Amino acid sequence: MLRISNLHKTYLKAVEPTLRGLSLEFPRPTIAGLLGPNGAGKTTTISILCGLVRPDSGTVEVLGADIRTDLERIKKRIGVVPQSIALYPPLSVRENLEYIGALYKIPGTILQQRIRHFLQLFGLDHTGSKAIRYFSGGMKRRANIIASLLHEPELLVLDEPTAGVDVQSRNLILQFLEDYHGQGHSIIYTSHLLEEAQQLCREVAIMDHGQLVVQGDPRLLMKDHGFSSLEQVFLHLTGISLRD
Amino acid sequence: MKKIIATFWNECRLFIRDITGMVLLFLMPLGLTIIMALIQDAPFREYQHIRFEILWLDADKGQLAENLREGLEETGQFRLIDSLDGRPLDTVAVKAAIQGGRYKIGIIVPRSISAEVVNSANQVANELGKSLGAAGKLPERPTRQATVEIYFDPVTKQAMKSALLNALDKQLTKVQAEMILGRLSRKMEDLDSTGVSQFNLEEKLQAVRLREFAAGSRKGPQLSSNSVQHNVPAWAIFGLFFIIVPISGNMIREREEGSLMRIRMVPGSYLSILAGKLLFYVLLGTAQFYMMLVAGLLILPHLGLPALVMGQAPAALLVTALAIAITATAYGLLVGAVFQTPNQALPFGAISIVILSAIGGIWVPVEILPPGLQQLAKASPMYWALDAINDLFLRHGNLKTVATHMGILSIFSACFLFIAGWIENYRKK
Ligand SMILES: Nc1ncnc2c1ncn2[C@@H]1O[C@H](COP(=O)(O)OP(=O)(O)OP(=O)(O)O)[C@@H](O)[C@H]1O
Ligand SMILES: [Mg+2]
Repeated sequence: MLRISNLHKTYLKAVEPTLRGLSLEFPRPTIAGLLGPNGAGKTTTISILCGLVRPDSGTVEVLGADIRTDLERIKKRIGVVPQSIALYPPLSVRENLEYIGALYKIPGTILQQRIRHFLQLFGLDHTGSKAIRYFSGGMKRRANIIASLLHEPELLVLDEPTAGVDVQSRNLILQFLEDYHGQGHSIIYTSHLLEEAQQLCREVAIMDHGQLVVQGDPRLLMKDHGFSSLEQVFLHLTGISLRD
Repeated sequence: MKKIIATFWNECRLFIRDITGMVLLFLMPLGLTIIMALIQDAPFREYQHIRFEILWLDADKGQLAENLREGLEETGQFRLIDSLDGRPLDTVAVKAAIQGGRYKIGIIVPRSISAEVVNSANQVANELGKSLGAAGKLPERPTRQATVEIYFDPVTKQAMKSALLNALDKQLTKVQAEMILGRLSRKMEDLDSTGVSQFNLEEKLQAVRLREFAAGSRKGPQLSSNSVQHNVPAWAIFGLFFIIVPISGNMIREREEGSLMRIRMVPGSYLSILAGKLLFYVLLGTAQFYMMLVAGLLILPHLGLPALVMGQAPAALLVTALAIAITATAYGLLVGAVFQTPNQALPFGAISIVILSAIGGIWVPVEILPPGLQQLAKASPMYWALDAINDLFLRHGNLKTVATHMGILSIFSACFLFIAGWIENYRKK
């Protein structure tokens, strides 16, 4: 589902490299967690695999296709939920979704069906013409997720989808991810909430300073390192010093 | 195609959401155009319709002074004033009023000047009559120099001085010629045995006249530039270029707010999305441009100005308006691509438009700029835009006439878009 090998990236005006030979692999379709402290390079990695950022060197294969040669095919098959709310604040959620759906060339009636379905599923069907700008944090996050689902991607990539949302919203989102995986789709997601990752992910990769620290089944990782929580493993491996 | 249309509608929706911005985008340039046409009305009429006040001191009280006065008043450009604060003028008062800047021009006609002109006319008539064999002699004496004194306030423009001096000179020559001819005619009558003159010298000498004609084909009404003809298209173009403010602002906002990120993740080329945006802004700019022309047509006549005359090539006008709108939009995309924040883009965008408009002949017609600046004007897309409109409105041009302009505007647009694309691509790194 995802294979990254020896990935390097230094941003144009940055003093330090962001990715320094990152290699990791999630071979089977699963719910995978990409974990790491602030500034570890998670968002950069996700930006590279969806073509927003060009790597300096290294190879990335998404769903068996190379990003350098098959980016267009990859774009059609993955949905990326950005860390920030990537929607038009003055427009209603429906207007946002209609536009994004049209850009993915989803036929009108199917698009309307899907919009109705997801708005209901994420509890946004009552928002009417209210602009996204006036949504609560949780509502914005949910709308942000729907916008990446309209084209029914095989692989859903989420960058901190539960950042800054209340318990109800978080539960709804996590439940959705479980269900979506249950319907045969793959998921990669990043988070700082290790308890959440521990519950949700069948597989995690912990990275730090642009490199892989460890990867594997979270339960096995806890067992191997002799800890009862993923957080303890994480702190043990990445240290307690601040990153930014 | 679907992406273009979807993007076009999305831009419409975003635009409609911002009602205030929408109203301002249309009303501000409209207000600007009307105000500029009104305040530049006076300078444009300066040597046509406005009357300048001249202090007129007539110490001569004779034929010549009277003729000069009539001649100046006939031009319609000058109004002669012969008393100040209820008192008749004298030399001291004239000089003081000019010195103090209260009046711009003063003319003092000296006491004996009519007598001097009569004397010289008599001299000429006597001389000519003698060679023709006419009898009798008109009274004459040796010539004494007489000078009409003219005083100018130093701020008086050179063009204005020349206009007045020309008018006076012409009048003086005319009066002298008339006197000489009148005396000669009388002498000829004396020669003629019947005593009835069959020959009017003055009339014969008026056979050749001057009249102004237009160089263009006589297809429509003959026009010369006036405040409305210059200002309405000029400020309409200026206002259209201000569309770069919402364009660059929206681009930067899209980048900052993240919606651009989502658009870039969509499969397929970003070009069709860009085309949808371009289409929207080009149509918006064209609509705004036409609205200002219509204001020139319908509103300005109610404010005491002449109505705008729009030429006879509506298709060519539409093409020109579209080309100008494309150039402005492309420039907006470039500004939006170059700058990171609205605080950078807004001042740069606005001031660069003012600069491009100043060198492009929007503020004052390029014709009256010095030669160096006239060459520089060609570096501004607004110069080509305004010249194309002038071709259509004033010179009865058509699509063929403005083809060069359209070509040059297209080159500007292509360059702007190319650089913008290059910068956007660079950002990916
Ligand atoms: N466009 C950019 N230009 C320069 N440096 C950048 C850019 N984007 C990210 N960085 C730097 O790269 C490093 C990694 O950033 P990245 O956003 O990938 O980390 P992250 O793991 O997602 O962190 P977080 O948990 O805070 O989201 C950071 O030090 C950041 O400052
Ligand atoms: Mg991040």
